[in-house]
Amino acid sequence: MKLRPFRIVLVLVTSLIPLALLAILVFLARYSWPALTFNGWHFLTGHTWNLGNLYADPVVQRGVLAPVGANYGILVFIVGTLLTSAIALIIAVPISLGVAVFLAEGLRSRLRTPLSFVVEMLAAVPSVVYGLWGYAVLTPLVAHTLGPGLRSVLGFIPFFSGAVGSGYGLLAASIVLALMVVPIIAATVRDALAQVPSETKEAAYALGATHFEVVRRAMLPAVRGNIIGACILGLGRALGETMAVLMVSGGALNYFPGNIYSPVTTMASFIVSQLDSAMQDPTGMAVRSLAEIALILFIISVLTNIIARLLTGTSHNASAV
Amino acid sequence: MLKNSSRNPVKAAIGGTVLALTLAGVMGSPTASARTLNITETGSTLLYPLFNLWVPAYTHSHPGVRINTQGTGSGTGISEAVSGVAQIGASDAYMSNMQMKQNPTILNIPLAISAQTVNYNIPGLNGIHLKLSGPVLAGIYDGHIRYWNAPAIAQLNPGVRLPHHLITPIHRTDGSGDTFIFSQYLSFSTPYWNSHAGYGTTISWPAVPGGLGALGNPGMVQASAQTPYSIAYIGVSFTKEVKRAHLGTAMLKNRAGRFLLPTKKTVTAAAAQLVKKTPVDERISLVFAPGAGSYPIINYEYAIVNDHQANGDMAQALRTFLSWAVDTHEGNARRFLRQVRFIALPARISALSRKQIAKIH
Repeated sequence: MKLRPFRIVLVLVTSLIPLALLAILVFLARYSWPALTFNGWHFLTGHTWNLGNLYADPVVQRGVLAPVGANYGILVFIVGTLLTSAIALIIAVPISLGVAVFLAEGLRSRLRTPLSFVVEMLAAVPSVVYGLWGYAVLTPLVAHTLGPGLRSVLGFIPFFSGAVGSGYGLLAASIVLALMVVPIIAATVRDALAQVPSETKEAAYALGATHFEVVRRAMLPAVRGNIIGACILGLGRALGETMAVLMVSGGALNYFPGNIYSPVTTMASFIVSQLDSAMQDPTGMAVRSLAEIALILFIISVLTNIIARLLTGTSHNASAV
Repeated sequence: MLKNSSRNPVKAAIGGTVLALTLAGVMGSPTASARTLNITETGSTLLYPLFNLWVPAYTHSHPGVRINTQGTGSGTGISEAVSGVAQIGASDAYMSNMQMKQNPTILNIPLAISAQTVNYNIPGLNGIHLKLSGPVLAGIYDGHIRYWNAPAIAQLNPGVRLPHHLITPIHRTDGSGDTFIFSQYLSFSTPYWNSHAGYGTTISWPAVPGGLGALGNPGMVQASAQTPYSIAYIGVSFTKEVKRAHLGTAMLKNRAGRFLLPTKKTVTAAAAQLVKKTPVDERISLVFAPGAGSYPIINYEYAIVNDHQANGDMAQALRTFLSWAVDTHEGNARRFLRQVRFIALPARISALSRKQIAKIH
């Protein structure tokens, strides 16, 4: 009886989180409803984004008022979002695991704390700072060094051959995203490695395992669930990253990337870059279509999370040895 | 923008008090005039450098008014002026008929005349002014013309050794008045472009493999400088940056068929052609003007203002500031405009602007 008020407060506070999630979903769906009816499935399969003629009088099309020639298709941006995030994870995961293992096992304890702190601080750097660095330093580097280098090594694969271009594009965006994702994955995995019971390690040593074998055969399998969880966290950050990507992605419109150096556009950065123009649409269809992009991005994030969890099975049990 | 806040606070306080007392004496209503009026200006990044020159000079001679400026983009400028968040929305583009129908109390007031350059980065050729036309630019931006030595370009530039290199067309990713006037030049000169891409502050750029998007005028300059064999359109207030990046500037073909650079003479000539046609509400495009000496890409820079303000003081302050801005001895004087390479409003246009300003109440 004594605990009841406390319990009620806890339930209320806890339910705020799913309620907020639901509220976002309801808002996005309601706000983008005219766009949903106007665009139909074409929204997901079309690859042309056209606001239409904003200076001509709008006409009623498919039951709603929209500018003449308006046509909203976002497949290019969906592809851009998934590609940048996937390449970012391919770059980031091995590096993060290396960093995590090094911090947890390869260092004396005196250095461990300050260095772990540095890695965690990297996760706290605002994304626009990474974007600025990417804009000023990385894009010229990709254009003159990284791009040509990658092409000469991996050029036999079609995706890595062809024109290197200006530096702005898929590769630069993925590298910037990878940099932002590494500290998240590394810090999470390091924490998990530090939690591995010493019995597990000692048992492995007792069987004659070397230090490397202990890490590889005993510790990493023990934190498999945490690694997957950390990757999902990183993926979530990469999917939704806006400013940093906008600054280095090259803003491709209406075409798919031909190779890894091509300009791309992601859904989140497109919303930001187009809001200004969309507000000039007197029918409001453009802004509502941007809201529909947000809705799709939201659904994609939820779906990738669910798929990742299904792939790993019951990830929470994986940490039990 | 923050220059004013670095003033000595004590001095400012004394100044404010003195001003308040003076005003109270003059107007006899101490409560209304005792505080500083805050005017918020937001919008066009092309007008932003000019506002940054205007504001310190104006607030120096008109204490009691504080003007906050922000370069956020023309679309934001229009929507914040409409919603009332900002009192002045700066825009390179005028509002559409439909927008005016929805917001009949909004005024589109020209403050100055701006122009745009088409710039390129062709190693070895940046020192000369290539000749380009609307249809050729439309061909480059829709992917029909892929190489710098394409016959269409070579034909306009006899005797120039053009390289066989792929052209990288660069466009703005953010909503922009520069995109508005550039796409108008393409639309008005090329029927094919007009029916396929049209014009607007953002348009559906045809898919050109390798075509690049850049953020703001600074982004256009950087992307172009960094990408050999690229082409870009850049607001004339960024001419200094264009020179520093050693980009080439194109001579553009006007309606009369002549190739011109944007100079004070050619921009003024183009504006003069359309002065008489400018309607009372001043919403008109100056792009692709007739006349042998007219540079083809120029535009009015607008202040978007609601004619119905929250109170009389604000309306008064806006009328005073905007009248000051279009005055050829004050805001439209050469000492301000030459720094951003704008051209002053012709007398008839500033009279029209003043007539609109008088409507603010």
